Formats: sequence, C-alpha cells, structure tokens
Amino acid sequence: MGVLSLLAGRYLLGLRRRTHVAAVSAISFGAMALGAAALVVTLALLEGFQSTIRTQLAASGVHAELRPRIGRALPDGDWVARLRAAHPELEVRMVRGGAVWCLGPDSAVPADLEAVDTLSRVEVNRILAAELGAGVGTEVTIASPRLTLSPLGPLPLRRRVDVAAVGATQPGDERAVIRVPLQLGGELLGSTAPRAVDLRAHDPRRAWEVASDVQRDVPGGVEVVSFAELNRPLLAALALERVMIGFGVGLVMVVAALNLLCNLALLAAEKRADVAVLAAAGLAPSRVRRLFLLLGLGVGALGGILGTVLGAAAAALLERTHALPLPRGVFIVSHVPFRVTPGAVTVVLGVSLLAALLASLAPARAAARRDVLEGLRYE
Amino acid sequence: MSEAAAARGVGTVVTAAGLRKGYGSGERRVEVLRGLDLELPRGEMLAVVGPSGVGKSTLLHLLGLLDRPDAGRLELFDTDVETLAVEARAEWRNRRLGFVFQFHALLPEFSLEENVAMPLLIGGASRRAALERARELVAAVGLASRATHFPDELSGGEQQRGAVARALVARPELLLADEPTGNLDASAASALFDLLAQLHLSRGLTSVIVTHNEALASRCTRVLRLTGAAVGDGHA
Repeated sequence: MGVLSLLAGRYLLGLRRRTHVAAVSAISFGAMALGAAALVVTLALLEGFQSTIRTQLAASGVHAELRPRIGRALPDGDWVARLRAAHPELEVRMVRGGAVWCLGPDSAVPADLEAVDTLSRVEVNRILAAELGAGVGTEVTIASPRLTLSPLGPLPLRRRVDVAAVGATQPGDERAVIRVPLQLGGELLGSTAPRAVDLRAHDPRRAWEVASDVQRDVPGGVEVVSFAELNRPLLAALALERVMIGFGVGLVMVVAALNLLCNLALLAAEKRADVAVLAAAGLAPSRVRRLFLLLGLGVGALGGILGTVLGAAAAALLERTHALPLPRGVFIVSHVPFRVTPGAVTVVLGVSLLAALLASLAPARAAARRDVLEGLRYE
Repeated sequence: MSEAAAARGVGTVVTAAGLRKGYGSGERRVEVLRGLDLELPRGEMLAVVGPSGVGKSTLLHLLGLLDRPDAGRLELFDTDVETLAVEARAEWRNRRLGFVFQFHALLPEFSLEENVAMPLLIGGASRRAALERARELVAAVGLASRATHFPDELSGGEQQRGAVARALVARPELLLADEPTGNLDASAASALFDLLAQLHLSRGLTSVIVTHNEALASRCTRVLRLTGAAVGDGHA
C-alpha cells in the first residue's frame, strides 16, 4: 500500500497546483464532516431524551412483576417470604386489586385499587389526583363494588381515606390508580387472592436485571415479567423513533457521499494523464482502483472523524451548559438533554466509512478501466 | 559496446511479424500499421520516423505493452506478449521497460526526486532506497541541484531529463521514447538526445525513439521509416 498511500496523501493534501480540485475536495471533506456531526448530535439528542425517559420509567415504575401462569391467583405457599429473604435489595409488594370508584372534591372517577402488603398509607397516582382534584391531605371516598345492607337497602361499601402521597405515573400508563394498605384493601374487595407481586430494586439502575435475578427463586406456576416486557410498547416506540430519526438524518451522509462521488469522478478525469504515466510505469489497473478507493476512504474517514469529534464536542458542550432550556411543567427535564455514547460514535464512523466506500466504487472502477493511451493523449 | 552493454549479452529484444493495428470500425476504420516486421537486437538504438498518423506512437505503445495488436505476432525478450496477463504486463512495464513521453513528463504534486523514484515505489521498494537510487539518476542526468524542486519550478528541458531519469531508474532493458524532444527548442533537444545516447551506451540499453527530427534520428544506430504502406524491417 506504500506508493498508493503516498499518491493518495499527496493528492488529498498536496493539491496546491490544482486549486479547483482541492476546493471541491475540501467541500466533499466538509460535507462528510457536517453529515457526521449532524448524525452524532442527533443521536446524542435522542439518547439524551430517551435515557431520561428510561430513567424516569425505572424510578417510578415496577421493575418486574410476578403473575400466575394460569388463572387469576398466584400459587399459595411461603415463596414470597423466601423471595424477600433472598433478595433484600428488592422491594417486594404483594398486590391484590379490583375496580372501585373514587369520590373527590371535584368529581367521582373509576379507578384501579391496588392493595399492597408493604403499604401503610393511601397513595393515588398523578392521573387520579388530577381527575379528582385531590392532593396530599385531601379526603377521598372509595366506593367498592361490594354491597352492604342499610336501612335504605343494599349500598356500595364505602371508606373515607386521606391521601398521604401522590405517586408518579409510569410513562405510557394511563390508568387512574389508588394504592391502599392490604387490610383496607381486604375490607373493600373481600379476601381476594393476590393477583401479582411487584418487584422494585432499591437502586433503579438495576431495573433491567431484576427479572433475571429472581427467575430461579419463584415456583413453576409463576411467570416473571421483566422490566422490558412490562414497558414493551414504550421501549419499542423509543427504539423505532431512534431508527427512523437516525435514518432520516443519515440521508445527510448520503448527500455527502454523492458529493464525494462527484469529486472523485472529477479527480479521476483531472488526473487521467498522471494515471496514464503511472500505468506506463507499472501501476496495474487493480492498484489504480485501490488508489481511488483510498482517496475516497481518506476523505470519508477524515471527514467522518472530524465531524464525529466536532459533533460530540458540541453535544457535550450543550449538555454541560444547559444551553437549550425547556419550559418548566411541560417537560420532565429543564433543558434539552444530550448524551454521546460509544455506540453512537461507532455507528457514525461506520456509516461515514461505508458511505465513502460506496461513493468511491464507481469512480475507482472507471479510473481503473480508463484507456491508458487516452490519458497519454490528453493535454 | 560498453562494459554494461556487454554484460547484457546478445540476443533479440523485439521480434515483430505481420503486426497490424487500426482504429475505428466500418467505413471510419483507419489502418495504421499494416503488417510490420521488425527485429531489434539487443543494444540497438532505433529511431522511428515518418509523417504524422503513420503509426509511430502506435508502434511504441505496442512495444510498451500499453496496447495490443489486431493481428501479427509480437515477442519481447523471446516471450510472446499476448501470453502475458494484465498484471504481468504491468510488472514488465515496471521492471523491463522504460518510457519517456512528449507530454506529462512529471507528476506535478511530487518533487523531481520523488517523480524519478516512482517506478521503484510502484515496484515495492522502500521509500528510502527508492529515493537514494533516484538521487543517483537525478545526478546522472545533471539535475542534482534540482532534486527537491517541483516540476513547475523546472524548465521543459529539465523536466524531460527528469523523465529520462525516471525511465531508467528501475534498470530497464528496453527504453521507449515518444517524441522526447518534441516540446524542446533545438539546443535543448540536442542536449537531451546527447544524454539519451550517452545513457544508452553506458547502461547497455536497447532503445526505440520516435522522432520527427531527421538530424537526431540520423544519430541512432538504425532508422525505421514508416510510410503507411506495409513495411518490412527498418533500414538505416
């Protein structure tokens, strides 16, 4: 590769005597760099938003759920107690539940009641709080489908409770939920069997591993639903968003590659006499092809690396300085988040090289096939 | 014959029989070479002369493995060149043949010594060894003080001397020059021809020089006159 590197390097860097070709090469280089930078910044922006959403999801939601494989009730036995003992790093909540009505200061709305054995107070999620017009300290009446006899006939069983906390809502979960202690839940719903066990790691960063951690500690009739499966629609939407936006911005690289193709075709035409002299000196057509591939890859690689570095630096700067603020109360973050990952950098460099390689193939092939005598006659 | 020439031994470098070459097709077809026979012994300095379009450069391109004949047989160094694959032809051009062209003497992005070293670099020599050998050749053509200059800093005559150095740097056996003095004034042309003649002798070359200049042609050991008709072996 020695002489080819020398020739390619001199053509790329030493074009002082062919200024128009040098200018077009510089434009190609700039286009590749700009495309790479745009792709890195976009992927950093997507990753910033999506990691925020995933963090929020892990912080507010359930990390794994144990459900009966068959029927609506979990199997009997002390396996939940053993699970708690084996995994002190997890919060294990046995959930009984059913549908209820909640009556608040503003309205009455249907809600899902969850009776949780580890809970000692009443919580509502944000959706229910908003619909009821309730907050911490508000008195809410829960009406159960169970009936009780009164002088006026059978009436729904009611309990007044004070809301002690308004919990976060899992992204993508549109249900109105009220969580109550197990005893109160039993009074309202009767002695229903537990329908699920919710698992949460004390460290939300471990949300993704919880299901695999407990897999061998549950009986055969229990299905372990992982964090990814619980949030499959949302996570799939995020992945699709990343692919589609990445693809859209990746079209910038296609435009840059087409520009590179034109530049290499121009360079091949400009250098036809030089290539003919080199061929006469023994440079085989296959090496002429490699020379132009090297030129294309040189522009693509250097442009891609420069663009990636600039894009990553810009994203890091925007993240550090919080330069793009977001309206409070509308978004869950105060500024547009950017996060550059090694994977994104690798993808952008790979796309740059691939685009440069594909753009170089046709001009390289044409240069290798060009008639040497035509080049020698060219003046 | 010099010692170097003697070391090359004797034999035939070029054998051509019934060599034909034309361009175009149908009514626009032009036959350039019509059955050329030629035998060129080792050590010969052959001038090829004739009017424009008669096939002088075409003959040189065939001898230089840059083109293929339509018909006839061409042997170089007792090998039928039609048996050589594309890569082998390139290797022969690199190791056994040296070219000097009328135009495109030197590559503009490279210094004189880099231009001269180019055939060695193409042949796989290290940059250091190639430049060392190139400097010897640059000195041999009288351009030692201009070794690091770029082509646009050299006169036309200097560029052509550089091209001669490049043609000879890989120690070829056959030197092919296509109008090497075509772009030079009379005195520069004469000086370049002197240089070619001196290197031809000192390095034991076999040379084929295409020229329009009858005075220079007469200084070769033999002259091949192409007229456009079928020609036999050249005559002095």
